[in-house]
This record gives sequence, C-alpha cells and structure tokens, in this order.
Amino acid sequence: MKIALINGSPRHKDSASAVILQMLKRMLAEENEILELYCATPAFAEHDLKQITSCDRLVFSFPLYVDAIPSHLLRCLSQLEEAYSAKAGSKPAVYALVNCGFYEGSQNSVALDIIKNWCHKAGPTYGQGIGMGGGGMLLAISGVPDDKGPKRIVYEAIKTMANNILAGASADNLFVSPGFPRFAYKLSAEFGWRKAIKENGLKVKDLSRRM
Amino acid sequence: MKLLIHDLNEEQLSKLIPVKPDDTTVISDDGSIRHCLGCFGCWVKTPGTCVIHDNYADTGEKISKCEEVVIISKCFYGGFSPFVKNVLDRGISYMHPYFTIRNGELHHRRRYGNHIDLSVWFYGDNITEVEKETAERLIHANAINLDCSVKSVGFVREIEQVTV
Repeated sequence: MKIALINGSPRHKDSASAVILQMLKRMLAEENEILELYCATPAFAEHDLKQITSCDRLVFSFPLYVDAIPSHLLRCLSQLEEAYSAKAGSKPAVYALVNCGFYEGSQNSVALDIIKNWCHKAGPTYGQGIGMGGGGMLLAISGVPDDKGPKRIVYEAIKTMANNILAGASADNLFVSPGFPRFAYKLSAEFGWRKAIKENGLKVKDLSRRM
Repeated sequence: MKLLIHDLNEEQLSKLIPVKPDDTTVISDDGSIRHCLGCFGCWVKTPGTCVIHDNYADTGEKISKCEEVVIISKCFYGGFSPFVKNVLDRGISYMHPYFTIRNGELHHRRRYGNHIDLSVWFYGDNITEVEKETAERLIHANAINLDCSVKSVGFVREIEQVTV
C-alpha cells in the first residue's frame, strides 16, 4: 500500500506537525511504501501532485491557523481537488492530524470538518482526524519515547488512527489534550514567550506593544 | 472605522461599493500576499507587526483600528478562500501571545481594547448545507478567539446579493 504523509507546516522539520507525522510513520513503515512530502508553500510541484494522486492513503499533518487550515495548505488542497477531478479511478482514504497551541484538542474540530468537506468535493473518502492540543509542547518533548509520559495520550490516539489507515477504515475524530494540567501548560507557554522576546533583544513589556 | 477584507476583483468590488466611504479601510488581493511562516515574529521580534515585508504586514494593526469588520469570501469547503484566510493568518498580531480562559477554553489574550462586530458573507454557487454549518461554526470560533461579536453570517450564490 502506498501512503502519502504530507506535512502542512510552513516550518518544515522543526514543527510539531513533523513530530506527530514521525510517530505515525513508525507505526506504518513495515511493508508499506511511505511517501513523505512537505507542503510549506502555496503550491505542490507537478511531480508531487502525480505522486500524491497515485497513493491509496493520504495523511495531512498541520498546525491550526485561526481556527482552520493554513492558507498555503488550503491553496494546495484546491490544487489537489483539480488534480483528482482530472483523474479517473479510485480515490484514496484521507486522514488528518491537526495540532494547535491551545490546550484543548477539541479546538481543531472545525479544521477537521473543512478537511472532510474537501474530501466530499474532491472525491477521496474521509477516514478520521485527530485534533491535538499543546502542539508547542510536542515539539519540546520530541525526544521523549513515543509511549511515555505526556506523549502517551497522543501515542494512543495515533495508534488507533494507524490501525484505521492500514484497514482503510473510517472512524470518529479523536481529540486529545496535553497529559498535564492546563494551568501548568499556560504558565509554561508564557514563560516561553518571555524567554523568546528577551532572546530577540527586546523587553518583556514589548510583548504587549500596541501599534 | 470599518475594515473590509474581501477576495473580489476590482470590477466586482466597484459594482458592490461604487464609492469607498471615508471611514472604511479595504484589504484587497493585489497578488503580492505571502503566506504566514508560523515564525511568531509578530509576537516576539516585531511585536504587533508581521516580519514579512509586503502590503499585508500591518493587518493586525488595521484590525485594531476598527469597530466593524466585514469579510466577503468565496466559500472553500466551509471556510474562507485562500486569500481571505491568508490575510487572517497574517493578522494574528492583533492578539497577545499570552493565554486567557474564554468560553471555558484557552485562548489568546487581547492586545488592544477595541471591540469588533464581525459580519461575514460567503458566496458561491455550490455551497452545501454541511459547508454552511461548518462555516457558521468557524465564524463562531473566530469570534471567541478574537473576542468579538458576530453581527451576521450570510450565504449567497451571486456576489450581487451581498449587502454592505
């Protein structure tokens, strides 16, 4: 079986989307042909389009932007819709992994519905989606073993999806939040912003600058 | 002040709004917009402004100067068109990076004090009922995130049916 893993983050490898996709890849690699692609710009190359439309399964992993799909990926989906309409034959099953910086994985539900609606327009079958909260944290703990600590809850959801991908099955979306308290996540994120702005030679009060 | 974000061409816009009111800022597609890179530079390098130097770097500031935002967008899969979405992606400096609890969920804190009434028109000749439902949910989610009010969400087949 040919499976396309499409990373829709504009940040290429240094992204939570990549960490999530690699977790999934480790569950799928055996006996399957895995095609890894980046969608970091507003258009797929012609060669990539041909490869994607030849796959049996598509998996999109991307960050939530303003409650929905990042604009560059949206342009690529529109391009892919055209490619499928010009191509006869069977269409793939589609799976989506959406991560956001907010705590609650459920905040990704509209983005998953947009992917589902895209499937309806373009022809593929919608398989399943996972909405994940705490995306930034996933990048920070990328070195932790997949099934340990705060990564475990994500691992379990991805494992369920991996089984559905292999079976070509459709199932309800799953939503997961970080495996530690929300107040701790909030404090940790805000510490990160203060650190980042100081590293750029600015002061903490500049975080609140008004134009 | 009013902000109009749309994906219409010049002819379509001039039919809809023959004379632009003085109190209205319009964000149109001039073909130069670049996509958000997810770098968070608008929060930690040049707070309040996007680091990409094109005509859309000040989108967050423009949102901060108005009390009403009107969006006219072709409906794509129950969401905004790529251009309109691109503008919104580039405007996240309107919000502060810190979190607050709103609607029982984590959302970004306000950077500015202005309150926005949001009106959205989705157009397209093939918008399904499911897409309309998704779009309604999207605007509701946007309103919670931007801490603004939804004035209206409309769906039309033809652009001429939009009233602004």
